[in-house]
Amino acid sequence: MDKKKYGALEQKISPKTPLLKNCLKAFVTGGVICLIAQIISLFYMTYFDFTERTASNPTIATMIFISMLLTGFGFYKKIGQFGGAGSAVPITGFGNAVISAAIEHKTEGYVLGVGGNIFKLAGSVIVFGVFSAFVVALVKTILVKLGVVGW
Amino acid sequence: MNKVRRKKTYCGKLEGFPIQKHLMIYMMFILLLTGCTAQEDRIRMKNNTGEKEAKAEELISTHEDVKKAVILLNDNDLLVALRMKTFSRFNKRKIGKKIEKELKKSYPDMTVTVSVDNKILLETTKIINENIQETNDKKIKKLKSLIKEET
Repeated sequence: MDKKKYGALEQKISPKTPLLKNCLKAFVTGGVICLIAQIISLFYMTYFDFTERTASNPTIATMIFISMLLTGFGFYKKIGQFGGAGSAVPITGFGNAVISAAIEHKTEGYVLGVGGNIFKLAGSVIVFGVFSAFVVALVKTILVKLGVVGW
Repeated sequence: MNKVRRKKTYCGKLEGFPIQKHLMIYMMFILLLTGCTAQEDRIRMKNNTGEKEAKAEELISTHEDVKKAVILLNDNDLLVALRMKTFSRFNKRKIGKKIEKELKKSYPDMTVTVSVDNKILLETTKIINENIQETNDKKIKKLKSLIKEET
């Protein structure tokens, strides 16, 4: 069988991805994670001396701590199976990527194993994040110089 | 096998007790009603000085974006805490700076501090409710240093 025929056959037989359902599940999962983070942030603002500006620091730390516990006990992968991008995009997804890499390479030692491989998944997040921030800042500078937008 | 058995018993329980389903609906309805709160004052004020607070009240009530405001006049300090309407929250800092400029023009002899932070609103309301003259100055100083915190 040649490539084209095989490709057409494969397209016919493979089940369609339920796009709308996946989007809704991701929406709900991401929303619930953000809701929990908002509750934690309100807790820090009410019972401690944090303003709205400064409360994001302890909130993020708490969310990463929770994601560490969930990753270590093997629950985060179930959330990821259900929610997809909804669990990967918030800071908990980033935490999960770093922590699972650290757990995986612990047997190779702390310096070369954990230290060398901990940013295996998160490395591209950081690289492309910094690059896109650069591009956006460049576009904004050009627009400001042309007088289209203000700072 | 265990999961299938568990799901069957759970579904059986729901089917056999329709009252539980109705209870859920009533609970959700009651939860929805908790969102209704009594009407509260838009601007609360406390004046401990000789200056007139009417100017500040008028100035703030003309701004449509401000949902709630608390004005505290004490010795030489004018402390204003604002809460914006939901969609104006995106440029709340710009609006806060504009209001600060206008207030500085109206009260040239006082040190004017305007904050759009939720925490500052809570703390200022607490100061007004407690209303103990001796600790007022200390609390206002602490509040002003909290406003200046960046991280």
